[in-house]
This record gives sequence, structure tokens and C-alpha cells, in this order.
Amino acid sequence: MSDPRLSEPHVLDQPWRVWATVAVLTIVFAGALLGVVIIPVVQGRAAGLDAYTAICRALGIVAGSPAQPQPSDRTPPTPVSQVVWTPDVLQVLARADTARGRAKVLEVCVACHGEQGVSVAPEFPHLNGQSGAAIYKQLHDYQSGSRVHPLMTDVAKALPEPIIADVAAYYAGQPKRDPNPATLGELPANIVQLVELGDPNRNIPPCAACHRPGAGGPIEAPILHEQGQNYLALQLKAYASGERRNDVYARMRTIAAQLTAPEIDGLSRYYAAGFR
Amino acid sequence: MRNVERLCLAHLWVAFTAFTVACVLGTWQMWVRSPLGAKVGTPGLYFMSVTAHGVSMAYVLSTFFIMGFGYFVAVTALNRPLPGKPWAWLGFWMGLIGVVMAVIPIAMGHASVLFTFYPPLTGSAWFYIGLVLVVAGSWIWCVLMIVAMAEWKRENPGRPVPLAMFATVANAVMWLWTTVGVAVELVFQVIPAALGLVQTVDVGLSRTLFSWTLHAIVYFWLLPAYTAFYTLVPRAAGGRLYSDTMGRLVFIMFLLYSLPVGIHHLLMDPEHGNGMKFIQVLLTAFVTVPTFLTIFTISASMEIAGRLRGGRGVFGWIAALPWERPMVLAAGLAFVMLGFGGFGGLINMAYGMNAMVHNTAWVTAHFHLIFGGSVVIMYFAIAYEIWPRLTGRDHVSLAPLRLQLWLWFIGMMVMTLPWHWLGLQGQWRRVANFNYADPIIAGWGPWVIVSFVGGLVLLASALLFVRNLFVLHRSPALALPRPLYALAVHPPHRVPAALNGFGLWNVLVAILMLLAYGWPLAQFAIAPSPSAIVHRVQ
Repeated sequence: MSDPRLSEPHVLDQPWRVWATVAVLTIVFAGALLGVVIIPVVQGRAAGLDAYTAICRALGIVAGSPAQPQPSDRTPPTPVSQVVWTPDVLQVLARADTARGRAKVLEVCVACHGEQGVSVAPEFPHLNGQSGAAIYKQLHDYQSGSRVHPLMTDVAKALPEPIIADVAAYYAGQPKRDPNPATLGELPANIVQLVELGDPNRNIPPCAACHRPGAGGPIEAPILHEQGQNYLALQLKAYASGERRNDVYARMRTIAAQLTAPEIDGLSRYYAAGFR
Repeated sequence: MRNVERLCLAHLWVAFTAFTVACVLGTWQMWVRSPLGAKVGTPGLYFMSVTAHGVSMAYVLSTFFIMGFGYFVAVTALNRPLPGKPWAWLGFWMGLIGVVMAVIPIAMGHASVLFTFYPPLTGSAWFYIGLVLVVAGSWIWCVLMIVAMAEWKRENPGRPVPLAMFATVANAVMWLWTTVGVAVELVFQVIPAALGLVQTVDVGLSRTLFSWTLHAIVYFWLLPAYTAFYTLVPRAAGGRLYSDTMGRLVFIMFLLYSLPVGIHHLLMDPEHGNGMKFIQVLLTAFVTVPTFLTIFTISASMEIAGRLRGGRGVFGWIAALPWERPMVLAAGLAFVMLGFGGFGGLINMAYGMNAMVHNTAWVTAHFHLIFGGSVVIMYFAIAYEIWPRLTGRDHVSLAPLRLQLWLWFIGMMVMTLPWHWLGLQGQWRRVANFNYADPIIAGWGPWVIVSFVGGLVLLASALLFVRNLFVLHRSPALALPRPLYALAVHPPHRVPAALNGFGLWNVLVAILMLLAYGWPLAQFAIAPSPSAIVHRVQ
């Protein structure tokens, strides 16, 4: 766009090009010298880092601050679950074979959870329309011992990895019964409040923040609407007592321990009635 | 005007319609976050509203206003017809269709991801595709601005481009550079995730790409206000521009230093080394240079006007200025808000102080004061100034205009100053409600209410603004043609090509961007970081 014919006289332009370039580059290189070399080396010396490490950290090639020795804690972590949502695991879930899953369901799961995921007894969860990632994580946790159940532990240990994903995908694809919650009677206001807003005074986040479909919470958070009332109440009590402990960051243990018995009952009824 | 009035008015009315809706939503948000409305609405509704408010203000108001004002400047400053008018209408309709495509999923609750997107959150693909259309429409505007200036230069060899057009093209060129970051993020990361084509997204990369856009976009919004400071305000005050060259240098410096600085928005992020952050913070410091040059130049221009009107003494010229004129009043009020907001910005820029205010209400207050305050009040003044030209009708009375500007100023100060204070106390941002029963948070309550009152005043001002424009459309007074743009004290007769075009500066921007963003982006290709699982909010 800069047409040299337009400058009168043309000689006006040469110094502009030279000095503008020199000024802009000087500023950047001064910044680089200070930010990547001088400051990291000086600060690193105080933190016991050699010059090379400090410069690498300043560039971001090596993790950590160039001004502090890191990491400060080398205690190995003790995860409550062995499931890691890597792209590979997500691909396994995305490519699950529901026909193979159905075959395994008819062979193993059907006795308690039904062919379409509607369970036969109140203490067993319904699995129809449940999130595939949630079913996958629970089966995996039974396998690894993160979650314990007299029946499920042995059942899950007999299932190889890709079959777990197939079973999860099969049940996830089964339809909900989808009752019309508007016909299900009156809702106690405090339960609706817990679901929608939580209770900040007790550090209880809203249930809907994670358990409403599409809420955007942790991927393994199960969908709760239309789950059995007995099963929900049992799980909340198990979390509250610490008997069940496969929730990452102890999220559900922290929440459930704050709930009163009427609240556990009310929330179980709320979700069993089909409300979201 | 050669018949571009309808084009300008269409753009400006889309901008101000979005603005009015966003003001209502913003006031509602202030209410439900305050102790007065603590039981109202749900977090889902709140974030839907914040998304609509942010998209309307940041993308629709700004982009359509800048396009409309740009077309106006191209015709009036260059005094020649707008080239490619059908293309301009194409850009307008692309943008408008894009807005509709984005608004529908927001209203359905399928895109509550805020206007800054925050992957791995993903909303409906229609939302993002709509916004891409808005940006693509604005690219047509950029090309038309560049073509208009190039044609004028061909017809007027050796003559300096009028400053208003030079500034507008500086903004167009900057916007083309600016949008590269967000366009790449949307097209290659967010939209594939929204369509379900990929299950993970590299958040470090997406944040870095958005940071490319995030600071320069603010200057895209700001430059029309600066254009008015240099070209409209001195004339409205009855004086002359102190220095035309200073104006050109300032717009060039904004082009250079608004782009390679975005990583200062990522000072608390782990994906970049401290060295790269340091370089960009240093470059950020240079953005203050054109700001201070402008404060000096415009103050000097106003002093000329004040003394021509008989002002005496060190400060006497200030009182002698024609404050009854909306453009002069708006400029004065904008300067006050720019002062407060600018110093707040210096604090955000400093690594250590940023660590304290990061993710607090301070930041929200800061950008409301700068954009909503200094910039938008100048949008009002520009609208009041150019509307008579567009409609052929004049304001019957300036009193409602002044009242509206004062209300906006007072509302913005009352809203944002307590908001800054709350941020310093640790009030976090991007949350739907506060637990005012908590003894620490309870102390914030009164200030949040004060802030909400400021919001109400702002809403009143916004409605009065729209009313003033409606009244003008039916005004019986005919607009008299009068000069719009200020002459410089020493009008330029010839300027070096460097101050009459952007060839050299584009090369320098490319070099700066390569040095500032080359390594921060390359590192994601050399050593890919763990990706985050896509969270779909629909």
C-alpha cells in the first residue's frame, strides 16, 4: 500500500524505514535479553538453579518457574480411581460395539439390570439412558477395586476392557421411560433449591451443575433422573459414611456428608420421579 | 454523502439495537448478583444472559458500529463515492444473518459459554458459525476501507490521506491481523469440537490463539473513539488539531503494539514460560505511549480552542470550552473514565499486581469502565454528530443529549468504582450468585447494591439514547451542512509514505508477531500438551 511515488521527496522515506525497524527490533530484543536471559539467571541463582535450567524454564521448555526450586513435594499421589480420560479411552468409548455389548448383557447383566437397563430390584440401579462414560467408570472401578460390591466386583473382573465399553454403550443407548414430571405431584422448595442452587452455607454445589444432562460437569457424572429411589438413597448414604469412595477429589463424599436424612430422601424421590 | 446513508444507518441501528438489549440483560445480571435479587433466576439463566450480553456488546455493537462509522468516514473524509457498495451490503447481511444464527442457540440455552468461549466448554456449532459470519462480513468492510484509501491515493498522488481515513484504515488493517487468532481457534479447534468431530481440545493452544485476538480486539473497539478525539472533537470545540503527524504516529503505534501483547491475558496460565510473558508485558508497556501522546495532543488541541474562545490563565481555557456541545462534553467525560480505567489497566499489566486481581471483579470492572465508559460514550457522541448528516435532520435541543451523556458517565462511575473495590476484596468473577449469608461475603453486599444502582442509571441513559435518536428521525429541524473534521494547526502538505500508508508497518507487525507469538505457538506443535475433554453445554 505504501507507494513510494507518493512521498515527496522520496528521500524522506528511507530514514523512516530504517529507524522504525531498528526501534521495533531493539525493543523486542531488549525484552528477550531481559526476560529470557538476565532476569532468569539472576533469580535462578538465588533459587539454586543453574543458568541453563533457569533459561529453559523462562522459555517454557522445562516446566516450572525460573525463580523458584520446583516441585516442592514429591509424594506420590494415591488416586481413588484408575480411570483416566485420555483421548485413547474416549476413542474406545466412541467406537464401542453395541451389538457385542448387547450379547454380553444378555449373557451376564440381564439377571439384575434387565435387557433394557430397567433393574429388577430397588437396590440395583437402572442403566437405561445412563451416560456411557459413567457406566464405563463404575465397571472399571469394580475391576480395580476402587468400588466394592459383593456381586459386581466379580462380574466386572470377568469383563475385558473393550467389552466394558460395549456394555456401557449398549445401556447408554436404551431409552428412558421419560414420564412427564409435571404430573408427579408437588415438589418441596428446599429440594428444588438444592438441585438448582445448592446451599452455599454448607458448601454444597447444585446437583444440576453436574448431573443434569449436558451440564458440563465431570464426564463421569451419572445422569440421575429416573434412577431408582432406593438406589440413590443407598449411594448417598454410602458416600456420607465413606463406605463408597471412588469419587474423584471426594466430591460426592464431601457433599453427601452435609446432607440431612430428609434431604437424602427428598433428593432420591425428586430424581426417581423423573425431574432433572 | 452520495447515498450511503442507508448503509450507515442500517449498520448503526443493528449496533444500537443489540446495545439496548444488552443493557437490559446487564442490569438484570447486576440485580440477580446483588443481595436484592439473590433468589431470582438460576445459574443456567444467568450464564445464558451473560453470554448474550457479552456477544451483543463485544461483537455486535462494536463491529456494526465500526463498520457503519467507517463507511461514513470513507465517503465524507475522502469526499468520493464508496467503492463496492454491493459488497458492503453483502458484508452487512452476512453479519446480520450471523448474529441471528448466534442468538438463537444462545436463547435456547445451547451456547452459554460466554463471548470468550472458554474451551473445552463447547456450545452449539451454529453459535460459532454465526460469529464467524459476523467476522467474515467485517473482513469485507476491511477490504473496502483499504480499497477506498488506495483509490483516493491514486487519484491524489503525493497528497496526505485525511487523518480520519488514515485512522479508519489503520483499524481495518489491525482488525485483519487481530481476527486471525480467533478464526484459527474457531475453525480448527472449537467448531470441530462442537460438531462432535473431535473429543478433546488443547486448551493451552486455544487460549493462546484467543489471546492473539483478545487484546487487539479491545483496540479495534477503541480506535473509533480515538478517531473522534483527533478529527471530530477539536472541530466541535471550535479549535484545531495540535498535530496531524502525532495522530498518524499514534494510530501506527496502536497497530504495532496492540497485537504482540495478548499473552499478558495469560499471566497466570501455565502453558507459557515466564520469559515469553516478560517480552509481551514489555511490549504492552509501549501501548501506553500512544495513549499518553493522545492525552497530550488532544489536551493541547482543546487548549487552542479554549484560548481562541477567550480562556485565560493556566486552567481558564478549560472553563471557556463549549461544554454544551455533546461531542466536547463526551470527550471530557471519556478522558476522566480513560484516566481511571487506564491506571487500572497498568495494574492488570504488571505481573505481580495482576496475580492479586486476576479472575476477580476488578477485571470486569476495568473493561466495563474502558469499553463501556470511555469508548461507548464516544460512540454516542459520534452518533449524535453524524446522525444529522445521515438523516438530513438536526437536533431540536441538545439538553436531552447532554443529560444522556451525563447519566452514562455517572452510571458508569457508580457501577464500576465499587466493582473495582469488590475485586480488590476478592470478589470473583464469572459466578452466578453469592452467598451473602457468609460473614465475609455479607460485607460486599452494600457495594454490590451501589453497583447495581449504577447499572440502573446506565439503563436509563441507554433508553434515553435510543429515544434521542428516534426523536431526531422525526425532527422538524433541517440539518445545515457544516464542516465535520478538524484542520491541523499546520495542515500537512506532504508526508513520508511511512505516514501515508501501512506497507512498512505491516512488515513490522509480521516481524513482531513472529517474535512474540512464534515460539509460544510453535511449542504446541513441538511438544503437544495433554488435551482436555470437550464439555458440551447443550
